[in-house]
Amino acid sequence: MNISRFSSPAPDSVATPTPASAQADTNVNDRQGLAASLRHVRYRYSGAHDWALDGVDLDIHAGEYVCIVGANGSGKSTLARLLAGLSAPDSGMITLDGHPVFDAAGAHADQYRLARHDIGAVFQNPEDQIVTTITGDDVAFGPENLGMSRPRIGDQVAHALKAVGMMERIEDDPTTMSGGQQQRIAIAGIIAMNPAMVVLDEPTAMLDQDARIGVLDILDALHRRGATIVHVTHHADEAHRGQRVITMSAGRIIDDSTVATPSLDGYSNSSEHPAKNDFRHLLQTSGMPVTWLHPGSIDGRTPLPSDTSPVQGVMSLAAATPMTAGTDAAGIPGTGSPDAEEIPAAHPPAPAISVDHVSFTPQGAVSPSVDRLTFSVRSGETVALMGTNGAGKTTLIRLLAALDRPGSGNITIDGIPVATDYRCTGNADERRPTQPAERLKSRLMTWLAKPRSGVRPLSRAQRVQLRHRLGLVMQHPERQLFAQTVAEDVAYGPRNLGLSEQEVAQRVDEALELLHIGDIRDRSPFSLSGGQQRLAAIAGVIACHPDVLLLDEPTASLDETASARIRGLLADLHRRGVTVLLVTHSIDEARAVADRVLVLESPTNARQKVTPQSADEQKPADTLQSEASAAASSDGIPAIPSANTADIQPSKARRTGTGRSAIGKLDTRVKVVAFLALMFSAFAISSPYQLAVGAILTAGIVAAARISPLQLLARIHMFLFLFVFAGALNIFFVRTGTPLAHIGPVPITDDGVHTAIIYACRFALVIILGAVYVETTTPTAMTDAFESLLSPLKRCGIHVQEIALVLSLALRFLPTLRVEIISVAQAQAARGGSIESGSPAQRCRAMCAIIMPVFAASLRHADNLSLALDARSYEEGIHRTHWHEMRMHARDGVFCAACAVYVAALVLVALL
Amino acid sequence: MSIFSHTHIHVRAIVKDDDLSGSVQPTDTAADSQATPATTPAATPVADAADAAVSPKDAHSTGVGDSGRWSTRRIAMYACFVALSMALSFVEFPLIPGVPWLKYDPSGIVALVAGFAYGPAAALIVSILGFVPHLFISPWGTLMAWLVAIGLSVPAAVIYRRMHTRSGAVLGLVVGAIVALVLAILGNLVITPMYAHMTVAQVAALIVPALLPFNLAKYAINCVVTFLIYKPMSELLNKSAR
Repeated sequence: MNISRFSSPAPDSVATPTPASAQADTNVNDRQGLAASLRHVRYRYSGAHDWALDGVDLDIHAGEYVCIVGANGSGKSTLARLLAGLSAPDSGMITLDGHPVFDAAGAHADQYRLARHDIGAVFQNPEDQIVTTITGDDVAFGPENLGMSRPRIGDQVAHALKAVGMMERIEDDPTTMSGGQQQRIAIAGIIAMNPAMVVLDEPTAMLDQDARIGVLDILDALHRRGATIVHVTHHADEAHRGQRVITMSAGRIIDDSTVATPSLDGYSNSSEHPAKNDFRHLLQTSGMPVTWLHPGSIDGRTPLPSDTSPVQGVMSLAAATPMTAGTDAAGIPGTGSPDAEEIPAAHPPAPAISVDHVSFTPQGAVSPSVDRLTFSVRSGETVALMGTNGAGKTTLIRLLAALDRPGSGNITIDGIPVATDYRCTGNADERRPTQPAERLKSRLMTWLAKPRSGVRPLSRAQRVQLRHRLGLVMQHPERQLFAQTVAEDVAYGPRNLGLSEQEVAQRVDEALELLHIGDIRDRSPFSLSGGQQRLAAIAGVIACHPDVLLLDEPTASLDETASARIRGLLADLHRRGVTVLLVTHSIDEARAVADRVLVLESPTNARQKVTPQSADEQKPADTLQSEASAAASSDGIPAIPSANTADIQPSKARRTGTGRSAIGKLDTRVKVVAFLALMFSAFAISSPYQLAVGAILTAGIVAAARISPLQLLARIHMFLFLFVFAGALNIFFVRTGTPLAHIGPVPITDDGVHTAIIYACRFALVIILGAVYVETTTPTAMTDAFESLLSPLKRCGIHVQEIALVLSLALRFLPTLRVEIISVAQAQAARGGSIESGSPAQRCRAMCAIIMPVFAASLRHADNLSLALDARSYEEGIHRTHWHEMRMHARDGVFCAACAVYVAALVLVALL
Repeated sequence: MSIFSHTHIHVRAIVKDDDLSGSVQPTDTAADSQATPATTPAATPVADAADAAVSPKDAHSTGVGDSGRWSTRRIAMYACFVALSMALSFVEFPLIPGVPWLKYDPSGIVALVAGFAYGPAAALIVSILGFVPHLFISPWGTLMAWLVAIGLSVPAAVIYRRMHTRSGAVLGLVVGAIVALVLAILGNLVITPMYAHMTVAQVAALIVPALLPFNLAKYAINCVVTFLIYKPMSELLNKSAR
């Protein structure tokens, strides 16, 4: 990597060195060659009582690889933020890259500005650091903010993407990529700015094992090329990759040690891979009954590349000692045999959860995320569900909660048929209906359920029943909190069950008591700590008195106190006879609360050897909402595990329409004005001749855009019903002309039919033109054009550059918030909330219960995003350059002329 | 300095106004403490006056991207509000059974909340940018949506900025709803004939049976929901102000 210092011309000329205090000056001289130097630094969050940082002294030398470790709340993230120059302390002295940014006189903005240009920052959440929807443009954002020249930006983008191995994806949409890929792009965005120091705050926290190694290898490479690396992590194995490990506790540095052997590639690899086998080994020696669930357990021929012997994926209900996988399972006798397969229903009492040959493939994905899974959970059992990231644990929970419908298989919960497969109940071959009438019924049910799915979902009444019996604690349940007080929030579920106010109050008290949070009942959920919020949200589910409770990583990222409360709750519920299925990553937690463990083997892992590239793509960003995972897995997991085809195909798909075609090459400013003119004027079409002119032009534009009619239809098919509707409406409104028929008292006239056709067609033209525009224009190009067109408004004091950035970021975050809305709506639906039914007051409350958490989600993303913008050196009113050039060509003139001729023709035809 | 320099005043006013909320007051300092005279040249006099009560010591501003009217925080916040508005504008459902084409979408709530939190300019930006994706689907309809969204949120934000009380909020919402109602009906008279072959007179005949009750219901929902969520919302805004 080219580490030669890049001095950005624009910011340099803007920033004038401020006369720092004498004290600071001497310190600068003392600390030559230091990347960062902190003295007596204290930091306290507003409103907090304790110091997040309490007297930190730290020197980081240029070129060092420093890892910062410590428990949650030890101040390591705060320290990282100070080191990155993104936040200033309350007191103390900070020198960053030789710039005295903070001293007794406070923060020196100019010094901070200078220092920040040399410091890159990467954060935990990969998705929120992506600022636009094209990889190349995203990486170019930082260089643009530094005011680099156009060719230089191109060089930097290419160089940075090569450094992280994402050059092939330069034109793809990073928002649909896996978390590991997104994090690599975020790092590329920083590399492109040529930082001398890179500060990373738990960059691998949301990534799976293989994606983690990918990121860590990039850090090693960066370090070898001379960059200073500050890496905040909670993984011990990651910390040892650095030269120096700093341990934080309660806002202080309690240990600062140099790692004896500097990181070597061989060392790191040997330390990473056993971790995976460790899990297997640890589980087997944990003394807990463990069942390994493999895909496809019908024929007993499970093709596994791993060292496990062919094991039935079916657990035995009767066998107290379950099957074990692995030939070396010395501690536990493997008594399970393929013959032990039982149909759960045959065994009284009926299991609380019964899953029978369930498969689920997310929309758009090639391979299933849950593959022919069979297991059951007895009533009153507490079962831990474990497995690697991407093994389908969350998907399974969603299927059980009826939030997604399996592609095949049966699910029964507490006697309620959550999913009923009409093609195969139990065994695919034997249970096929033979009677013609039965077959017809089966087909009819299948067709009614959903095309191309043999699974019938539960009826509305059954769904209500399920909501009464099944409790669902999704990942990060605190994100569902909405009410003004904790008690109100907890009461939401019981109220939706239609209980009396007295019963509701009783339920609330009991739930708060179970979680020992009675003291916060009247506080606003938004004023609580993360742990308290989690407990309050879980109380909201417990208050519904579920017989079966599903929890998806309820203790993830919680401190020990809150985790212990949740484990206590699970023990209480177990005593009360509640059936619990708990997704967890912690073997200790499983041992503490669960009767036994189910391990879900990833369908992908089982079927193919995992290469780092393909494994990298298994885990989508953040929590696994079905929408997000569908997009990510469709993008990420190729049917044939070849990294090259996977990389190239999406690029090709993206390039159709954009860039290549005549329409795609138009200057976006010309295009937006011309298309809007065409679309607005289409409403003037009122005769068949005008319609013909319009249709010819539209057909020409579609052809010039090289969009196939099928592709176009796919984009606009949802508007087709609107055409029909618009048409039908006019048939009834027009009473002039010769009556053709009568529908009741309403005459249908030839004028009416004529008008209906004209109106429907002109509406279709508008929609087609809009679709072509959207298809051939990237959001970046659109916002650049928007900014350029509105730039005259700058004279009126309007912040055009900032507004354009707001629009660009909004378009980028639109899909993210869509996923948030869907996930909140589903979580509240699981608590019985519904906007569509009930009294106006109930519906209003249901709406607040969705809108409020969605706002909270927006703020959460905004918090992360603002840091990401800071890290990329964005500032109000800076001189930015643009990577993409906007220049008028002859073809733009031709297009304008064509549009003018068209409008003239419309007018002319009308006059004739 | 944070963009909340003027936000927390609203927050405080609404908290003061509500006698039930005594227990949440400590978090108020979250926003207050963000302003430091040294690093916040853009702080309004009103904000400074309010901040005087709190120690300005623990402002963690570096004075770079987080200062000025358009801090990166503000940009990020606007962007997420606009994105939320866009996302919600596609969540349409019919309000009146049997009249499927008069659809309600909750995006108006976002503009109202943005206006309450950040002032009329924010309401304007969220109202306009939030409907940009619709411009290429239904151009005239978008003009209409802009008109109505601005009519609802901007007057509400202007009035609430002058009167930071619960009653000010109510007055703002009512005035906004009336302005929006008038604009919606006038707009429909012009735009409906473009989508359906109707004369202005025919559309006018629909005002009382359809347009008036539908729009009234729409703004009532927006206003009631905004009113209900604004207090927890301000709590959140305060908390997230680093």
